Amino acid sequence: MIYTNYIASVLLIVLGLYTILYKKHIIKIVLGMGIVDYGINLLIVSIGFNDGGTAPIFTMSELISGAYFVDPVPQALTLTSIVIGACVDAMALSLVIKLYKQYKTTNADEIRRLRG
Amino acid sequence: MMTFLTLLFKILVFPGFLFVTVIGLLLAGIDRKVLARMQKRVGPPIVQPVYDFFKLMGKETIIPSAANKAAFLTAPVVGLVSLVVLMLFIPVFSYSAFSGSADMIVVLYLLTIPGVALIVGGSASGSPYAGIGISREMVAMMAYELPLVMVLLSVAKKAGGDSLCFSLQDIVAWQAANGCGAFHWSLIPAALAMLLVIPAEVGTQPFDVAEAETEICEGPLIEYSGAPLAVFKLNTALKMFVMTALFTALFFGGIDTGIVALNALILVAICVVLTILCMTTVHAVTARLKVEHLFKFYWTTVAGLAAASLVLVWIGL
Amino acid sequence: MITYAHFPVLAVMGLFFGAFLVEIFGSRSKAVRNFIAIVTAAGAFGLIAALIKPVMLDGEVISYWMGNWEPVSGYAIGIGYEIDQLGLFFALLIVTTFLLSGFYSLRYMERDHHLGHYYTLYLMLSGSVLGLSLTGDVFNMFIMIEIMTFAAVALTAFRNESRGALEAAFKYLVVGSIGSSFTLAGIALLYAQCHTLNMAQLASILAAGLTPTTLFAFALMFTGLAVKSYIVPFHAPAADAYTTAPTSISMVFSGMVNKAGVYGMIRLVYVIFRAIDLPAMQMLLACFGTVTMFVGVTMALAQHDFKRLLAFHSISQIGYVITSAALGTGLGLTGALFHAMNHTLFKGLLFLCAGAVLYAAGTTDLDRLGGLSKRMPKTTVCFLIGAFSISGLPPFNGFVSKWIVYQSIYAKAVETHNFAYAFITIVAVIVSVMTLASFIKVTQAVFFGQLPASCAQVREVPLSMRIPMWIMSVLCVLTGVFYDFVNEHLLHPAVKAAFNATGYIDAMMGEGYAAAAGVANVEVAPVEFSYWNPILWLVLFVVMLVAVFFVILTGRNTRGRVLEETGAPADGKYATYFSGEKSMPSHVGGSDLFWGFKHDWKSYFTVMQGAHSGVVNDYALWAVFGGAVVMLFMFTFLR
Repeated sequence: MIYTNYIASVLLIVLGLYTILYKKHIIKIVLGMGIVDYGINLLIVSIGFNDGGTAPIFTMSELISGAYFVDPVPQALTLTSIVIGACVDAMALSLVIKLYKQYKTTNADEIRRLRG
Repeated sequence: MMTFLTLLFKILVFPGFLFVTVIGLLLAGIDRKVLARMQKRVGPPIVQPVYDFFKLMGKETIIPSAANKAAFLTAPVVGLVSLVVLMLFIPVFSYSAFSGSADMIVVLYLLTIPGVALIVGGSASGSPYAGIGISREMVAMMAYELPLVMVLLSVAKKAGGDSLCFSLQDIVAWQAANGCGAFHWSLIPAALAMLLVIPAEVGTQPFDVAEAETEICEGPLIEYSGAPLAVFKLNTALKMFVMTALFTALFFGGIDTGIVALNALILVAICVVLTILCMTTVHAVTARLKVEHLFKFYWTTVAGLAAASLVLVWIGL
Repeated sequence: MITYAHFPVLAVMGLFFGAFLVEIFGSRSKAVRNFIAIVTAAGAFGLIAALIKPVMLDGEVISYWMGNWEPVSGYAIGIGYEIDQLGLFFALLIVTTFLLSGFYSLRYMERDHHLGHYYTLYLMLSGSVLGLSLTGDVFNMFIMIEIMTFAAVALTAFRNESRGALEAAFKYLVVGSIGSSFTLAGIALLYAQCHTLNMAQLASILAAGLTPTTLFAFALMFTGLAVKSYIVPFHAPAADAYTTAPTSISMVFSGMVNKAGVYGMIRLVYVIFRAIDLPAMQMLLACFGTVTMFVGVTMALAQHDFKRLLAFHSISQIGYVITSAALGTGLGLTGALFHAMNHTLFKGLLFLCAGAVLYAAGTTDLDRLGGLSKRMPKTTVCFLIGAFSISGLPPFNGFVSKWIVYQSIYAKAVETHNFAYAFITIVAVIVSVMTLASFIKVTQAVFFGQLPASCAQVREVPLSMRIPMWIMSVLCVLTGVFYDFVNEHLLHPAVKAAFNATGYIDAMMGEGYAAAAGVANVEVAPVEFSYWNPILWLVLFVVMLVAVFFVILTGRNTRGRVLEETGAPADGKYATYFSGEKSMPSHVGGSDLFWGFKHDWKSYFTVMQGAHSGVVNDYALWAVFGGAVVMLFMFTFLR
């Protein structure tokens, strides 16, 4: 249990959600989405930690019973999640570019043609 | 073969098409006559609706060029068929033509079909007066469905006790065993609410905002003439009978003399009394409500009565 | 050797591979692109349909481990695909929807550009949703949700110039990403507690009870999947997205994407956590469902745009599904699944009709359309079938499923002596009447009434667009008439599978695993219901035909000629009556209808329409607020 990591990841998630909820500039909203993703990535990779464990990289001959290593599955999940985060950011930013070209503003309060 | 013939008899004669048509037209005629007497007029003879029906059947059916012909001609017939089917599900005291486990929901939905038929027919005629009329008719339907649902649910809970009882035949049997619905305190507000829902369903004053003759020239029916108009007028008459028969089944269902013909006569008598009470009298003394007042009336006063009954039934009274 | 155990993976991978091929070849040749898209979609349909026999009819549960990584000493180490009857039920809905949408888009999208990208995204969306319904691994489900979100966002923004498309895509992405993040956090916490990602193993580990971590994970995953199902308060981006997406994609959204969310919720609550028998959980879901029903339909009554109205109705009908699934009884889940199936059929049909109107008339604004039934008669018939199905009129499918839903809710009310469920029944019936009202409004505003000058050149849509509409109309009628058949072969196996956690776990992890973990089954009796005596209805049909002929043939039945130049009838008696005034175009449509209702509900509409402000921060606030409510509720009542 690494309390620092868990507290930091919760803080990052909350900070990211705060950015999404309260910032009006749409690039800041995209940044908020990214921060939430990073917070969750930190959470996932911290979950796999075993105190005193080694890196989970073994060849078949080295893997003996009683070997103590950190959990590799959360690391795989984190890698996947990082890639997904990158794709979401890319898509969001391309939408931001096109929104600016069409609406001539980056203020979320003015990007509201569909309402009611 | 026998089942087929009995089915045909049930659908076409009793309690199907012939029975419901004759009694419905009778009720419509009595309503007009009593209304006239209340207004110190002589009034038409009681068989006048029959004369009107046959007169209209002989007239030319003019279909406006802006109308959608298929929907225009089919709508009145769909309404008629659904009313006849509805009567098949409503028990004549202890005799019921068809009965299933979920009659109440079928009845509720079949009751919306004649209104929808009027709306689709009016919409298909392409007239702006019809457009306004169907808008009002739909708002009226939304208005009276709420108290109607609450009345049906409270009677179902009362009759079912601890288990679900949606079948009208079971409700009648329960009333035969425990006394008529109207004699239980907790169902009296529901009975009152139902008495107020009946004129709105039938479309008589003060709730006939959809067919307001003076304002929108009969609304959805404006472009109708000849046989389709005859069927729509017949639908109104049938609805009078169907609604009062439903009220009888729900609240006076415990009476049973054992002979089907005598039961039918008692049903007709009760329906005549109910028609005079909730349709003619109210018609004679009130003016037409505006559509927003109608909606407010049903969702506050009438729904309040029905909700009172529902709550009373749920807490076990 | 390829056995039917390989079919699910082949179907999903085939769709992704098809997307890849379309991306390579699509920009060069239209024929190759259309061919690849349709063949891949049809192939997936065939593979999934071939699974009906072993899974639905013979009762088998297919389990497939990717790369043959079977569980080692009771621990799942590979990614598993598990297809039980519940998953296959949703998979069938999914493949039908995207195949019909593919056919429809061949003609519908031909005026757009960059169609290679469109078909790529469409195949990716289809593959991901299909994978979601077939997978047995929680993280794999998350990945499929993410692919689905990307493809959906890109498709929403596909027509860049169309009004509001980009902003709808942006809002969809932001709120969808909040949902996905919650789901991922939940999965991470679940892994932390249970050290496995396989749904079957999770179900057996969680049978021992809920710890605070798993409860928190449950709340997070519940919120995440609720965002994907677009129930209130997570529904606002869905309304925007369904409006601006190309209509063949709107149909896919309403027919399969929100079903994926519903499937995820059912799988989560019924099988993995098995929390559906807790009264608090039932009440939570039922409350969400009821609010969704009501808000969806009242907002729909105030709309001016055809597709936005249909979007709000989609949200409302999903409320029915969630409310019925919340009850935790066999009858309730039957009603929920049947209504989900019927919703796919009739809502898909309605969206296709909206697409036809958009293709023919160029607008979906209810205030500018009217009288289209004269120009598009076949579309009108399909639309009326869809409208009567969604309103629940007999004999269409909506009537049967709504009837089961009402009966199950009221039966629950009577069993548990809980007045809240009686109240929910009343709300459900009122919502149904309002649905009817809303579709009457659309019928009058778009199809009947008077034809405005701007729509004078409208023509009926091409045949390849009409065929999917006809197929769905026929299915709407058939599933309504032959509901016993549907119940016996599709619904009852699926409902039994949802309650049969033992079978689910044993199929993946080996015999006896579930029993060792203490998982027990809930017995579900087959649902019997019948209002349908075939002879009766045949006689009625004959009687009605006779009556129709009688009405049509009696009296001389005349309809006037219409003059070519002015469009006015040749003989004045066939003109619409105007009390002697000169006739002017005076179509009662769109915003003119239901004036009295809107007047009485003015304060409600002011609040609700103000709440749907269109600002992305507000929608994100609701999503987070909804998540907070779920978490608080679960920690208070589910410990």
